[in-house]
Amino acid sequence: MKWSSFQYLVKQGWHSMVANRLMTLASMGVLTACLFITGVAALLSLNVNSFVDYLGSKNEVVFFLEDTATDEQVQALAAQIDATDNVAASTYISKAQAVEEMRQDLGENSDLLDSFAGEDNPSNPLPASFRVSVEDPALMDQTVQTIRSYGGDLFYRVEAPSELGDAMVTVRRVANLVGWGLVAVLGVVSVVVISNTIKLTVFARRKEINIMKFVGATNAFIRLPFFVEGMTVGALAGVLATALVGGGYYAMDRSFHAADSYSVLLVEFQQCMIPFSAVILPLAGGFILFGMFIGGMGCAASIRRHLKV
Amino acid sequence: MIRFENVKKVYPGTGKSPDIVALQNVNLHIGKGEFVFVLGHSGAGKSTFLKLILREEAATEGRVIVNGWDLSTIKNREIPYLRRGLGVVFQDFRLIPTMTAYENVAFAMRVTNIPEKQIKRRVPYVLNLVGLRDKAYSLPQELSGGEQQRIALARALVHSPPIIIADEPTGNIDPELGVEIMELLQAINTVGTTVVVVTHERDLALRFHKRVITIDHGEVVADAPAAPRRRRTPAEAAAPTAAQRGSAPGQPARPARPAAARTGRPAAPRHTGAAKGGEQP
Ligand SMILES: Nc1ncnc2c1ncn2[C@@H]1O[C@H](COP(=O)(O)OP(=O)(O)OP(=O)(O)O)[C@@H](O)[C@H]1O
Ligand SMILES: [Mg+2]
Repeated sequence: MKWSSFQYLVKQGWHSMVANRLMTLASMGVLTACLFITGVAALLSLNVNSFVDYLGSKNEVVFFLEDTATDEQVQALAAQIDATDNVAASTYISKAQAVEEMRQDLGENSDLLDSFAGEDNPSNPLPASFRVSVEDPALMDQTVQTIRSYGGDLFYRVEAPSELGDAMVTVRRVANLVGWGLVAVLGVVSVVVISNTIKLTVFARRKEINIMKFVGATNAFIRLPFFVEGMTVGALAGVLATALVGGGYYAMDRSFHAADSYSVLLVEFQQCMIPFSAVILPLAGGFILFGMFIGGMGCAASIRRHLKV
Repeated sequence: MIRFENVKKVYPGTGKSPDIVALQNVNLHIGKGEFVFVLGHSGAGKSTFLKLILREEAATEGRVIVNGWDLSTIKNREIPYLRRGLGVVFQDFRLIPTMTAYENVAFAMRVTNIPEKQIKRRVPYVLNLVGLRDKAYSLPQELSGGEQQRIALARALVHSPPIIIADEPTGNIDPELGVEIMELLQAINTVGTTVVVVTHERDLALRFHKRVITIDHGEVVADAPAAPRRRRTPAEAAAPTAAQRGSAPGQPARPARPAAARTGRPAAPRHTGAAKGGEQP
């Protein structure tokens, strides 16, 4: 295509947008709203995922060992546990380490435990243990069963927070379902709205299109200004939605980190909220591309009928 | 240039209304440089004839060949290129009301990818040709019907098409202006462009002594060759005027005629090769 033709087409698309500015603004508004809701849903669902992952990584199962377990048995078990599916990490805590941890928790009263301290202290009442964290909390029960079968009688007790795991799994599933469901529904709604708007501008220019057909313009040429229009509206809506959602997220991110961390929950949120800097680029890119895609689709859908001459 | 072979066009009926046969048994040939009137009453099938040439509609049966394109097998993406070789002056002109005369003509070049430099040279030239150089920057609403029509003609001429088609060129304007546009069309014809004028006005078709194809109820009922303006000797009849033949003296459809004249046949109405399925004298 020649440069002067390209200039002409872009100019045409722009003129049509300006001439139909009310419709252009309306469709841009609707598309922005759709992108906004989509973006909020996506961010929410991503953060719920991140939060669940975070809780999951803290979600340890503790396997307490009988004192009779020998060093060889412990080593063999450690190797088996590490090789088990769904195990994210496992740590062996010896009897002496268990006392040390407890002493640290007691702080200035740590001397209470002095008589139990030291390697191989026979009076140490605390058991040795494996602390195992899992990758997917949904499979936790299964993983615990597997590891239990390796140890058999060597374990005298297993502590697994399985209800919490189940609850988190449900939360995550609902969040994902709602989030992506909204994305899909609003995507379709946006295409319909955009195509209806462009249908109006196409209708307003149907005579012109008809004349173009009869003087020998190709369909691609006729379509292009409308594509320019649809995609520009889409891209502008993407920029607007980025500003809105990104701005809101930035404010939230800031206020979380500025707040005094008295509340345990707030600390947890701070830990796992996806930072603004990691979100903004994919958000802007996604919004603008998605907006342009929907603008282009809507345009293609609305112009077809008028080209059949 | 334009050839119809056993063409039939049926518009499919919708629901209760029956199928409409708009054209049938149409056989004709319009050669390069000819000036032809297509005459018929309202509903005879004239517009359908034009639509088939422009490939706005496809023939139901038979073949339509225009400018070397076989329209029964033409691909959708080739249709724009077919149309660039056909200049059409529509009955309602079809000018874009928001564009000046200049822009309306330039538009037809722009949308076919022609560089701006060429447009700047060509548009004033064709506007001058139709005598509207002074009105280049007027909007259609500021122009008379005849002037609007001449802009439509300028637009039709802009691609230098080998065929110009005018649909009811005298329909929407004063009778005097009708003569004016017809004279322009004749002038264009003398430089070799094939001209097809569609009309329902019998007087108009007869006044110019050109070939007249009459359509009635979807069929070609008469195909009268260009009549001489006065009685001619057989030799005169055999030597066609420059206006009639345009720039196509060696038309393959006609070489037999001088021989026929030499055999002393009366100055019979000339029958072109196109009159295949039609009348014989
Ligand atoms: N798109 C269509 N669908 C169905 N029938 C049609 C269509 N176009 C034309 N016809 C019918 O075909 C017949 C021929 O129509 P056409 O338009 O070719 O006539 P015409 O000679 O141009 O008449 P006029 O001088 O009034 O314009 C008419 O009976 C008309 O009703
Ligand atoms: Mg008609």
